[in-house]
Amino acid sequence: MTNDGNSVRFDRRTLLKAGAALGALPLAAPFVQVARAADTIKIGVDNPLTGTYAALGKNEATGMAMAVDEINAKGGILGRKVELAIEDSTSGDAGVAVQKARKLIDRDQVSFIIGNINSALAQAIANVANEKGVIHVVPGGHTDSITGQNCHWNVFRVCNTTQTEANAVAGSVIKSAGKKWYYLTPDYAFGHTLQAGMESAAAKLGGTKVGADLTPLGTTDFSSYLIKAQAANPDAIIILQQGDDGVNVLKQAVQFGLDKKFHLAGAQLELEVLLGLPPEARVGTWVFEWYWNQPNVTGLKEFVAETRKRTGGHVPTARTWFGYASIHTCALAAAQANSLDAVKMAKALQGFKLPPEIALMPDGAYYRAGQNQLIPNLYVGHPQAQGKDDPEDLFVVDQVVKGDDVSPTLEETMCKQDWPA
Amino acid sequence: MTQLLLLAVINGLIVGAFYALMAIGLSLIMSLSDVINFAHGGFLAVGAYLAYSMAPYLGFWGGLIVAPILTALLGLLVERFLISRVYGRDPLYSLLLTFGLAFIFEDVTRYIWGAQSLPYQVPGWLMAPLSLDLFFLTGYRVFMIALIVLVVGALFWVMTRTRLGLRIRAGTLDLETVSVLGVNVRVLRNLNFGIGIFLAGLAGVLAAGQLGLTPTIGSSLIMQSFVAIIIGGLGSLTGTLLGGLLIGLAMNVTAVFLPSATEAVIYVMMALVLLVRPQGLLGEEGRF
Repeated sequence: MTNDGNSVRFDRRTLLKAGAALGALPLAAPFVQVARAADTIKIGVDNPLTGTYAALGKNEATGMAMAVDEINAKGGILGRKVELAIEDSTSGDAGVAVQKARKLIDRDQVSFIIGNINSALAQAIANVANEKGVIHVVPGGHTDSITGQNCHWNVFRVCNTTQTEANAVAGSVIKSAGKKWYYLTPDYAFGHTLQAGMESAAAKLGGTKVGADLTPLGTTDFSSYLIKAQAANPDAIIILQQGDDGVNVLKQAVQFGLDKKFHLAGAQLELEVLLGLPPEARVGTWVFEWYWNQPNVTGLKEFVAETRKRTGGHVPTARTWFGYASIHTCALAAAQANSLDAVKMAKALQGFKLPPEIALMPDGAYYRAGQNQLIPNLYVGHPQAQGKDDPEDLFVVDQVVKGDDVSPTLEETMCKQDWPA
Repeated sequence: MTQLLLLAVINGLIVGAFYALMAIGLSLIMSLSDVINFAHGGFLAVGAYLAYSMAPYLGFWGGLIVAPILTALLGLLVERFLISRVYGRDPLYSLLLTFGLAFIFEDVTRYIWGAQSLPYQVPGWLMAPLSLDLFFLTGYRVFMIALIVLVVGALFWVMTRTRLGLRIRAGTLDLETVSVLGVNVRVLRNLNFGIGIFLAGLAGVLAAGQLGLTPTIGSSLIMQSFVAIIIGGLGSLTGTLLGGLLIGLAMNVTAVFLPSATEAVIYVMMALVLLVRPQGLLGEEGRF
């Protein structure tokens, strides 16, 4: 580097270092911490507040805060007030998530830990929680292994497995579109298992794969993949991207007119994605894990009204409910076991059915024994361009599926729990 | 396969042109001010969100013109009051400053417009594909290319035919002499920064037509422009243009054969260029 007074010339090394730092930009993130009193029960939240999953994380946080207020209004957990200790896990850095999990458990002494939206981060946190023997509730990371091959006695999951989602929607796609599918799959744990799930669900019904592309997470331009998909001439293009990637791929597919030539479909779709799409791109056949506009569900109206109050008029999404159900799961476990002992609480949750005002779905939801996976209703349907009575009523439920009918059996999940002696 | 490759090449050039638009703004600032503007993606996001907020009043076309101008004005202020203070110091200062600004931009956009991604609508008649075979040539993408050609053409005209451009180019080569010859370097750098940020704002509005609007829209697009500059060579606008087109091409051709490597391929290219021709394809020898 030379310094000639008025100007300093940086050298190539500086430029390259700068590039490396720029690449690290999304990883560095400030953390948030809630101060607390000594006699409270702390629930650690290790979930994204920044990055790709910030919007989903925020909605889960809204649900969690609602649950905490409800629990405290009824006297807290075992008579003690509940507080959240919230950390930003980032959206994609497992290292940060693990570090935050250790901090929450070791320094903040939390009795429960919640997280994560990103499947890979959820699995990483689960391993830490298992090592420390702390109850861990995964609100919204879907990859199968969390309550499958890598399941733990202390790890409970509210959202569905990818295989369950695939089983729920596959029949509808085959019926409405046809049997030849082309997959567009995000290239990480969640995408891989979701595609595998869709393939096996389709195979049972005679469906075939005519092609598949793995797209890097954070892809903005999907045109090259869409060109390939079109060339393969499938009956349906199965879009498995989520979040911002999901918005981008759907928006571009519809701009290219592919929704008029093929059927666009996928497994999981979220209200957050529909809200980010222009009306003409709200198309396809999908499964929702929870929906705010269901008839005759106990407590739902109150839940929607309370969410609107807290979010400036927005309706709850599946994420809001995931956060809500996760925190209530902790309180219910303690109440059921009448103890904060992790093993006792985990035992109390085996086969435990959530009360209707917390399950907020027609057939209720329970934690399957031996797997710790919540078995809820799933909602197969299609988006609508504009909500009729409410601008955020963007999904039409065609069929409410029972989780028991589409969940893989306990043997199929390959979950083997290793309980402490 | 041949047809698929041909489509990938055409599509790659379209995508590449967009990367080039972003990279040229970044490159202008880097060349004259010796500042690696980490906040470039932040300005891009600001441009996109401003257009979104103005759309109900000014429509798509009004937003397309006014949002980049407002973004450029913001850029002028940021340069005048913050960035100009670290000129002539160790590059670390400007790195830290713009790095911090990038965070601030992302958080401020999240605070104002929310983390939820927002739909940004372009006029319906622009959305339709022009032909059934070349379905990826939507009116919008053709319009985008035309606009980029126009803007980049105008920029090259300014750089080669006007006094301002002449001074910027001269300053890029030897700022001290330009200063001694009586040119107000402070104003020159300020205007140059403004032009660079105008291009970022414009890229933001154009991107919003194709992508969902999120606070991370800038950071998700900025790495490509950075790589385009290194491949094309610092100090050469033609090089940056070439770099942008090349990475667009590389990403699309890779998608045909090895889709999961589309992101990695541009870094491999960057590494190769650094090994074989460290100053970049059209970069000046000795600049580095």
